Amino acid sequence: MPAISIDTFFACSLMVILVLSAMAGTSKLLSPYINNAIDQDSAERYKEVSKYLLLNSGNPPNWGQNPAAMPETFGLAKTSADSPYELDVDKISRLNSENLYTLNYAQIFTALKMPDVSFRIEIKPIFEVSISPTATFNGTTETTYEFEILTEKHGMLVQADVKGYVIAESYLEATFVHASNGRISLNITLPNDVNGPALFAVLAKASCDSKVVSFGVCAFTHNSVEPEPKGTFLRLSPLNYVLNASFIYSEIALSSAYALTYGYNSTLTQTASNNQSATYDIPRFLDSSPQILVVAGRNSTAFFTEWTTYPQVPLQMGANFATSATLSNIFAYTYIITIDSALYECTFWFGGPED
Amino acid sequence: MRQNMGQIRIIEAFLAVFIIFSSFAVSANLTITQNKTKPNDLASVGLQALMKLDSDGSLGMCVDDGNWSALRDALNLALPAGVSFNLTVYSAQMQQINTAVISNGAFSSQDVAFVEYICTSRSSMFRCYIIHLYLTVAA
Repeated sequence: MPAISIDTFFACSLMVILVLSAMAGTSKLLSPYINNAIDQDSAERYKEVSKYLLLNSGNPPNWGQNPAAMPETFGLAKTSADSPYELDVDKISRLNSENLYTLNYAQIFTALKMPDVSFRIEIKPIFEVSISPTATFNGTTETTYEFEILTEKHGMLVQADVKGYVIAESYLEATFVHASNGRISLNITLPNDVNGPALFAVLAKASCDSKVVSFGVCAFTHNSVEPEPKGTFLRLSPLNYVLNASFIYSEIALSSAYALTYGYNSTLTQTASNNQSATYDIPRFLDSSPQILVVAGRNSTAFFTEWTTYPQVPLQMGANFATSATLSNIFAYTYIITIDSALYECTFWFGGPED
Repeated sequence: MRQNMGQIRIIEAFLAVFIIFSSFAVSANLTITQNKTKPNDLASVGLQALMKLDSDGSLGMCVDDGNWSALRDALNLALPAGVSFNLTVYSAQMQQINTAVISNGAFSSQDVAFVEYICTSRSSMFRCYIIHLYLTVAA
């Protein structure tokens, strides 16, 4: 075959491919603009789905409390809730992958009974608390640590009342409440005969509304090696006001456990234990605050602390739209929700197959 | 000579196909972001925020105390980032009560959502307040 024919064949093929690809690409890029009416229907539908999930308790209504129960229909509302958008503390905790009794996305997707809807849910406190160690002052009998605490929402400082708890081996101390304009320095003093690593837990209540509470936790070195990351020694799973602490290593021996809220704190009572796990009763505080649950113990010879919150937030679960390679539309809806009389922010992202 | 030219054109064609397809592969991963917020959605968000703030009577308490800065801060926390609001509190006789502006910035959009909310005081004397909340998405 002469070279000119091959040239022509390739040139024609290239043109055809180019034109077809351009048509496909253009229609794909323009489809969200062309299908505006369809989008509006989808937006309305997804909005109603998000409301349904927050206003209905699902079936069985108490599927959150029972670790063995799987929801036949999915809903997050508290059974016999006092107000709309009040969610069940256990149903929320079971969405967190850290929980032993977590539901995976496939189970939720099946219970939702909408095969053409994929979604992602995020629940978090309304503002963030960040703790950073700034200085250490060593004394002969005690050591003072200075921390900077920031309370902010999207970079905007939030006025809050801040309360801290320090936990080390056989040691629990609560700080006074400090008024913060969004940035505050707190000093913590620990006796040198106390063993660490220590844990500094902070609860912050917004000055403008006592229902808006957030938290932050920072582990730091004190008479010890560097603290290990969260979840190294125990998997903590609060459910139905019982805390299950599953051991990651067999040589673990637990010493104490605490429940901390903004207004109250309590030592937890161990109700059962074996060589793989231990359980504690969680008190029902009348406080608009998440509970920070701390369990302390020893792995062989090293002291450790592990913590979680009840409800187990912040959490994100569901389909990951960030890495989606498709050009389908994503719809987001944000709500203010109540869990155990404290306010949180809940965001749904919805997407589905392109029409 | 002619054969060599043919080979070069084939290589050119392959290169062109490779470049075009790689550009499509890259552009397919670019998600179109259209941040559309309808006034109805904003009104729904605003109403829900007011309801939640009022669930323990703190909204009425702020009005009773004339604590307008707390009301502004609470709305700033409860509303999503990027939403501008302007709130006015009226008495049952539709007389403006708030003595300070309760807002987080000037409105820069024509699409303004409106929410009317009625709240009551939980103090010993019964009072009824009418709250008008205007919302828009900040530019």
